[in-house]
Amino acid sequence: MTFFMRRFRLAAVLSGVVAAAAALAADRAGDAQDPAADALARDIFKQLIEINTTDSAGNVTTAAEAMAQRFRAAGFPAADVIVAGPEQRKKNLVVRLHGTGKHKPVLLIGHLDVVEARREDWSTDPFEFIEKDGYFYGRGTLDMKSGDAIMATALLRLKREGYRGSRDIILALTADEEGGCCNGAQWLVRNHRELIDAQFVLNHDGLVGYSITSEQGIPQEFDLSATEKMYADYQLTVTNRGGHSSLPRSDNPIYQLSEGLVRIGRYAFPVELNEITRAYFERMARVRSGQTAADMRAITRTPIDAEAVARLSREPDLNSLMRTTCVATRLEGGHANNALPQRAQAVINCRILPGHSKEEVRKELIGVLSDPAISVRYVADDGSLSDTAPEQRTQSPSPLLPQVLEPLESTVAAMWPGLPVVPFMNAGATDGFYTRAAGLPTYGVAGIAVDRDDVRAHGRDERVRVTSFYRGNEFFYRYLKALTAVR
Amino acid sequence: MTAGTCAGAAFLFTAVGCAASAVAADAGSASNALARDMLAQLIAINTTDTPRGNVTTAAEAMAQRLRIAGFPSEDIWVLGPSERKKNLVVRLRGAHEHKPLLLIGHLDVVEARREDWSTDPFQLIEKDGDFYGRGTLDMKGPNAIMLASLVRLRQEGFRPARDIILALTADEEGGGANGVQWLVQHHRELIDAQFVLSGDDYSVLTENGKPLFFKLVASEKVYADFELRVINKGGHSSVPVPDNAIYSLTRGLDRLAIYEFPFELNAVTREYYRRRADLESGQRSADMRAILRDPPDGQALERLSRDPVERSITRTTCVATRLDAGHANNALPQRAQAVVNCRILPGHSPEEVRQRLVQVLADPAITVSYLASDGTRLDTAPAERGFAPPPLLPEMLNPLDQLVAETWPGLKVIPSMSAGASDATHTSAAGLPTYTFSPLSVDPNDDREHGRDERISVASFYQANEFFYRYLRTVTAR
Repeated sequence: MTFFMRRFRLAAVLSGVVAAAAALAADRAGDAQDPAADALARDIFKQLIEINTTDSAGNVTTAAEAMAQRFRAAGFPAADVIVAGPEQRKKNLVVRLHGTGKHKPVLLIGHLDVVEARREDWSTDPFEFIEKDGYFYGRGTLDMKSGDAIMATALLRLKREGYRGSRDIILALTADEEGGCCNGAQWLVRNHRELIDAQFVLNHDGLVGYSITSEQGIPQEFDLSATEKMYADYQLTVTNRGGHSSLPRSDNPIYQLSEGLVRIGRYAFPVELNEITRAYFERMARVRSGQTAADMRAITRTPIDAEAVARLSREPDLNSLMRTTCVATRLEGGHANNALPQRAQAVINCRILPGHSKEEVRKELIGVLSDPAISVRYVADDGSLSDTAPEQRTQSPSPLLPQVLEPLESTVAAMWPGLPVVPFMNAGATDGFYTRAAGLPTYGVAGIAVDRDDVRAHGRDERVRVTSFYRGNEFFYRYLKALTAVR
Repeated sequence: MTAGTCAGAAFLFTAVGCAASAVAADAGSASNALARDMLAQLIAINTTDTPRGNVTTAAEAMAQRLRIAGFPSEDIWVLGPSERKKNLVVRLRGAHEHKPLLLIGHLDVVEARREDWSTDPFQLIEKDGDFYGRGTLDMKGPNAIMLASLVRLRQEGFRPARDIILALTADEEGGGANGVQWLVQHHRELIDAQFVLSGDDYSVLTENGKPLFFKLVASEKVYADFELRVINKGGHSSVPVPDNAIYSLTRGLDRLAIYEFPFELNAVTREYYRRRADLESGQRSADMRAILRDPPDGQALERLSRDPVERSITRTTCVATRLDAGHANNALPQRAQAVVNCRILPGHSPEEVRQRLVQVLADPAITVSYLASDGTRLDTAPAERGFAPPPLLPEMLNPLDQLVAETWPGLKVIPSMSAGASDATHTSAAGLPTYTFSPLSVDPNDDREHGRDERISVASFYQANEFFYRYLRTVTAR
């Protein structure tokens, strides 16, 4: 998934929701690690990294089968280990660990595919699992084979223990989150709802394979992703009859486009908070100090304080939490240096707040451009263009269910005393889009910590800290248990 | 056409009238047939700068024709720096009373794709009174006319007062082996001359078939491409930051779009407006006179500048022609760039214009580099100034004035500045006064140079052939 970074430092302040006493009591337990579970997770992690699951040369089915084999070997009945999908190379794995059935199941999702990685760009082979200087290196170490390994390990561990929780735990490891023909989460929702139906969903993709932002290894905040913006690309086009460049005219598509883009660059969509971002600002107001803290409080009140908004908007990450954003990302124009351009085009990439549609934003762009010569077309995922965009509005944020939030806060408090849990809206898109669309409340949760200036997802030399991987492994096991505890 | 009928002759050679003898008309029609034949052959030889094109083939074919026409082999040279890019030089020997006259024309053409055209661009098609084919106008038509005129003079046994040299060359339209430049640098002795006539522009501008004036290009602007570039660290597009390479660039382009370079006239453009004012009427004529005053009338200038042609004659122009930015829809752009194409008035240098662009863009984040013709990017541009227009030599201009008046009664020769650059740049750089004209009639609104279905009027082609022969004869008579 696409990631999100914050720049501010956090004061070491307790989240008000977390009881300090609970944190202290759990401190000792927080340091405990199970060496056998760590070894298993590492083994699965290595196996996954070394199976190429890119959309180009890779094969997701190979990874799904390898995991299925482990579950069968661990005693999961064949009927509870399903490998299915619409395409030979893009199959998904669905595993079920039965509980008492007191509550509806919890669904865990993770994508098996990874983005491309070229050997020549990397210092090491991206499809070789390498431990070096306290890090695991390889494509997918962060996004998100670490999470896949951790979720699989948790299930195997619970199975080995003979654990029976209050609800079934379903794990779906899927294809094509990063792009490709056959998004597995979407396919399962549409074609095998019965296999994955649940009360709520945990997506280990989190921010981008992690939920804890750290600084020099010190955790600063745990972001609970409860909603996400919708991704949309638009193409702006101006055409002209062109001509010889020795005779410039006043009508030039490059200049027309430029003027429009300058207006887009100056425009800010209206500020709008939802349940999640409101909770985010309320909680962060306790973490931040001074003017920023006051501003965060001010924007959660109605009417919204315009000056507070203006000040907060200067921080790009906060800005993107408060409003839909649209930004020009590409330009193309002209066909020869010595010819007046016949065409000028730009791509505008938008991240749309929940509750709004792509068509609504397209119309807003037309209004901002205020030049009928500039056409605004929607660019679909497959690159095709259409004159209008989908009218469908994004789902509302998932409600902050107590049965999700409370065990999370207690588990976090036990393992990272004082670490605030902050509801969060992803600026990027994940498979949570499909599960939310299916009416399943979805939360991005991962116990992995990444330094805010070292997020290498989709980049070269992708890595995860070894200690963070093992802590994340332990966290998820404990959280699952807390979540499904029979009370 | 058949010879001997005054009506037929008058149809083609309006002002020649019945004074032309039947013998002359015979020679004229033979020359027309030859010119057409050579045009057909030149069009059929692909001379694009592509793997399919070969300028040498065209140069050799024309050399062969000249040999057959009786030019001695020692006066014909086919030479050049590359196997496919050879040039033809031929000399019609004269009395050496003056330094030679050099005629230049480029053999190469710009690319033409069959699927874009209504006919095969590499086949001469005569249809509805027009010749169609790539290069009919730019400039295999003028080449055929120059060749046919030279052959006609030779076959008549004409002995000019000075040698007439014709150079048909490679890579004017681009490519690494510009023939004129190469000849000037490596074989100056073959092409040295008192002055140069280039056929690389049609001269009789018409509107609805009616000739407006005869354009004699005596100066040209300097061509320069600049690259505007903004570099940024980029980032993820889900978190836009205020510092965006595309917005920096487009804000700069907004400023460039409204900027006007200063108004400036030179000897040629002054003469141009002096003569044009006589042809125009009303406000337009008054405005042309008004900008010739010192200081020029601001309102007149503003009105005239609304016409892109007048604007390009009175100012350096720079216009954005290309844009390129970003690398992925979902990533903030790390780079945004534009190409700005400038046409610089004589007396100014590309570096001067580059520095002006830097001022106009008014943003240190936008770097402005010079793009050399081979595409290399340079931090600074050449500091040489464009050549001041050459003096309008009476021995060149007087016969032209006279012949134009005879051919198109009432039509005036108007000295002009070309907004584009041609091979005249290279001869001018070598110190050879260069004038460009080709007596073809073209409606500027139907100028298909470099475009699809390029064409010239058949009648105009034959008329120009006769005109050019007579001009050559007159200009070298004494």
